[in-house]
Amino acid sequence: MEGLVYTALFAPLAGSLFAALFGMRPKTLLTGVVTSLLLLVSFIASTALLWHVMHVGPVHVKLMDWIVAGDMSIPFGFNVDQVTAVMMTVVTLVSTVVHIYSNGYMEHDKGFNRFFSYLSAFVFSMLVLVMSDNFLGLFIGWEGVGVCSWLLIGFWYHKPDVTRDENPSISPSWAANEAFIMNRIADLGMLIGIFLIYWNVGSLQYDAVFAAVPHLSHALLVAIGVFLFIGAMGKSAQFPLHTWLADAMEGPTPVSALIHAATMVTAGVYLVIRAHPLYSAVPGVGYFVAVVGTFVAIFAASMALVNRDLKRIIAYSTLSQLGYMFAAAGLGAYWVALFHLAAHAFFKALLFLGAGNVMHAMHDELDIFKMGGLKKVMKWTYIYMGVASLALAGIWPFAGFYSKDTILEVAFNEHTYGIWFVLWLTAGLTAFYSFRLVFLAFWSDERYKCYGFHPHEVQRYVLWAMFPLGLLAVIFGWYKEEFVDFVTGLLPAYEVSEHTHHMLPILVTVTLAIAIGGIVVAYVMYHKRLKRSEKVEASLPYRILYNQYYIPILYEKVFAKPYAELSDIAWKEIDLQVVDATVDGIAKVVEESGDATRRMQSGNLSDYLKWMAGGAIALAILAVIVVANG
Amino acid sequence: MENILSVLIFFPLVAALLGFLVKPQSIRAYGITVAAIEFVLTLWLWMSFDASDGGFQFIEFFPLVSSFGINYYLGVDGISLFIVVMTALMTLLGIVTLGEVKKLKNMIISLLFLEVAMVGVFVSLDAIVFYLFWEFSLVPMLYIIGYWGGEKRLYAAIKFFLYTFAGSLIMLVGMLYVAYVYHEVTGNWSFSLTDWYALVLPISVQKWLFWAFFLGFAIKVPMFPFHTWLPYAHGQAPTIGSVILAAVLLKMGTYGFVRFSLPMFPDASVAYILPVGVIAIIMIIYTAMVAYAQKDMKQVVAYSSISHMGVIVLGTFAMNPEGIAGSVFLMLSHGIVSGALFLLVGVIYDRRHTKLMSEFGGLAAVMPKYALIFGIMLMASVGLPLTIGFVGEYLSLAGFFKVSPVMTALGGFSVILGAVYMLSLYKKSFFGPVTKEENKVLPDLNGRELAALVPLAAIVVWLGVYPKPVLGPIDTSVKALVQFMDTKAQTPEAKRVIHVSKSTKEAK
Repeated sequence: MEGLVYTALFAPLAGSLFAALFGMRPKTLLTGVVTSLLLLVSFIASTALLWHVMHVGPVHVKLMDWIVAGDMSIPFGFNVDQVTAVMMTVVTLVSTVVHIYSNGYMEHDKGFNRFFSYLSAFVFSMLVLVMSDNFLGLFIGWEGVGVCSWLLIGFWYHKPDVTRDENPSISPSWAANEAFIMNRIADLGMLIGIFLIYWNVGSLQYDAVFAAVPHLSHALLVAIGVFLFIGAMGKSAQFPLHTWLADAMEGPTPVSALIHAATMVTAGVYLVIRAHPLYSAVPGVGYFVAVVGTFVAIFAASMALVNRDLKRIIAYSTLSQLGYMFAAAGLGAYWVALFHLAAHAFFKALLFLGAGNVMHAMHDELDIFKMGGLKKVMKWTYIYMGVASLALAGIWPFAGFYSKDTILEVAFNEHTYGIWFVLWLTAGLTAFYSFRLVFLAFWSDERYKCYGFHPHEVQRYVLWAMFPLGLLAVIFGWYKEEFVDFVTGLLPAYEVSEHTHHMLPILVTVTLAIAIGGIVVAYVMYHKRLKRSEKVEASLPYRILYNQYYIPILYEKVFAKPYAELSDIAWKEIDLQVVDATVDGIAKVVEESGDATRRMQSGNLSDYLKWMAGGAIALAILAVIVVANG
Repeated sequence: MENILSVLIFFPLVAALLGFLVKPQSIRAYGITVAAIEFVLTLWLWMSFDASDGGFQFIEFFPLVSSFGINYYLGVDGISLFIVVMTALMTLLGIVTLGEVKKLKNMIISLLFLEVAMVGVFVSLDAIVFYLFWEFSLVPMLYIIGYWGGEKRLYAAIKFFLYTFAGSLIMLVGMLYVAYVYHEVTGNWSFSLTDWYALVLPISVQKWLFWAFFLGFAIKVPMFPFHTWLPYAHGQAPTIGSVILAAVLLKMGTYGFVRFSLPMFPDASVAYILPVGVIAIIMIIYTAMVAYAQKDMKQVVAYSSISHMGVIVLGTFAMNPEGIAGSVFLMLSHGIVSGALFLLVGVIYDRRHTKLMSEFGGLAAVMPKYALIFGIMLMASVGLPLTIGFVGEYLSLAGFFKVSPVMTALGGFSVILGAVYMLSLYKKSFFGPVTKEENKVLPDLNGRELAALVPLAAIVVWLGVYPKPVLGPIDTSVKALVQFMDTKAQTPEAKRVIHVSKSTKEAK
């Protein structure tokens, strides 16, 4: 089994290094093919491990020691249990699809080889993140995916900075730095959580830490829970560290599908699920997590309602769905969160890849107001995106129905009706904005014609590559029972009360009703043609939503600018004017006093005698004082 | 080779003297050969070092002025061993990358003299010998900055010299006082460190001495507010000067804390954790901000050095093996990474004769190899796991967390602010469109530059993934040090704060 673990883990790394060899050369098709094949190998190994965990049990291997100092001993150790096996399978499956897809999508890009090197490196980091058997190992993957995300968001680094009005993300390199720095803020929180664990447990191994949970004080557990969650908030872009995710859409679309939808951004959810023994012990923190998640769910959905940018709409929806996952995990329904995580990975990656097809057809145009009627020329992309949107909206029998509905049941069952209501409402918004996108892009009048676009469907093999995701977006939910049986081997089995059980038919009905309602509204408003109302677009609520509640501008005004100004003051006013001037001042005093007393050395003997006499008297007085006091 | 340490000191010394006889056209080959032999000798030292022994090894003892207890007394332990190896490595790579400078011969001879002084500082176990090497190191550097430096080179060189010299004099007074106390207690004179270690000083004496030594070390590190000589020195020094300064000379200060302050004044060190920690936090946050405000690439790296040295100081005063081992490891990793960053800045300066970030932009497209190695060093500088930079920073902060979680959280801003100034440097210089005509034709790294930078990049990854060969011996010696401090500590506070690792306790 050890071989399988290492195969799954290191195949993407091998691919990345292989592609890196060609990194500075023009496109070599080989890099795309080899990395994709190695990803397939990793996927097969992951599936085999899934089977193994299902039928035999978890696998634990230790590669070697990493950091050993004092009492701290951190190995490179990997543990494949139920949760990890699910994560590995999801990650490698989506990665394989995205790799194959990228062969077509990046076909004409100068950085073709470099792209595959980064993309495979990302998968390796992500696998380290989910497979590590200790918190610091997770942190390696955590930072590794961060760097790969930085590299890939800024992939088209040559683009210049523009104003926010022209492009809300400013430039790829700007967005990349924003993502990295935002995540670093959260990482500090996570590091503090890790330090707390180390000094109170004496180990960072999951098994040791979770075994020690009953012996730790409540306050300590709360602190650890909160600090780890701060880390999770960065990676999973939860409010208030959410702005980077929408800007991350500057990266190539396959990157958005893989990193900023299906895998990396779910790392925070994974962390909470992984640390479930800890969060179960402090339900208060869990409730806080759920509230943050719920808030983000509706907050992000509201911004998606009015946006015109194809990718940003999907990005906000990712943010919103991450909120759902945190809500479930926070309320103690860990398997539900994991179930939604997996389902979301499939349909959201599909949605993004579909968006990539549209962008390809539209020469990188992202404004859905300039599209319309694309279903005629892009039938398969339309079907894929339609399926993904139905799944996202939570329509039976698609995958999202099963996972999202269960989250709402959990919220109801916990008597957190506020959370339930907000998530219910968000389900309606989700359906609306998803189908607003579908209708504006694929139905309605063919507005693209007046902009001179000639859209066309993508290559056949790219469409086939997307097929597994399409299939899973439909059928994944049907395997809920099997999924529950499997993961509850590790995660606590969450079951709803008798009362909720009786209410289920009603709950399902109202949820479906609002989702269908959302679609109907979108249909009525947009299926025929785009009707724009200047009055609505000029109204305050519309502008607030369109400008992301003015939060990016606020951050710039409150943090970025003052920090730059303060830094400038620190340098010019303090460092040069005060600290260094003092040093030079002291030197000057020494120099000048030396210069002033130089006259004493006049060469005149009688002057010297006078000075000598004066000195002797002074010494005598000093001696008297000392003796008198001593 | 029993007297390997003497060989390490005298070989470059003799070679430097012989260098005067070498013809100017063959001086480069001569310099590289000598530095390479020295480096191989340090590797031999590492290989023959007994990693399981935390005490001093390869000891050499030879009385110089026996009536005053001054001896030629050398030895290395896990703490100094790798600094010596790094010194030889950085000197070698520095000489390899030397471009066409005026009076190359004088430069190489100065560097060899400097190497003598640096190795001498880290292997001396006699305070006077240590002090002689400490001060001697100023002279070649004074010459390097003052002769090969930029426009304001004389001001910078003299500032560097006088400032650090003033600090060292106060340290010397402290040393003389320790010897005096030793004489009072035992009736003998001694400047041997191991003798001094055995001396249990009264708390009040410790406190005064702590500050006397502190001033000497703090100016060298340099700690806030004694740091303003550094930006000038880096700003004016030629690339090679900055590399050696950042990689090795600054480490003399932090090494001093570990070698002198901690074992000699354990109670005072514990008592002053708060003020020292506060200064370290100011260094970390304040200089990171100043670094962000810089327009000159080299100044960013210079101020970032101060910021990272703040983390080293925090780790040193963690009073537990995790923190101290981390700080010693960080000394090495900072040496490698900041040395490499200065080399990299030198590369672009050689091509464009400017270091202003506004002059660049889009370099990643023009010089991909350069961008790649700069990127690796950048990531090591911001402390990315699996690079050399993470191990030391993580352990230093983790160690200090035991002392003060709040101060560690503030010191942890290094993680955020370091990313802010480094990424902003990278974005301004490497990303965006190529705006300047002259940047469109810049040649990528040449063979000589690659010969120096590729090994450094390899070390950055190697010791980031597998730090054990270095961290292991450091850890062993640090555990012994902490154990010793714990035994020697008198105040209940010191007993409480100094944290001996469990494995050490069990071994007893």
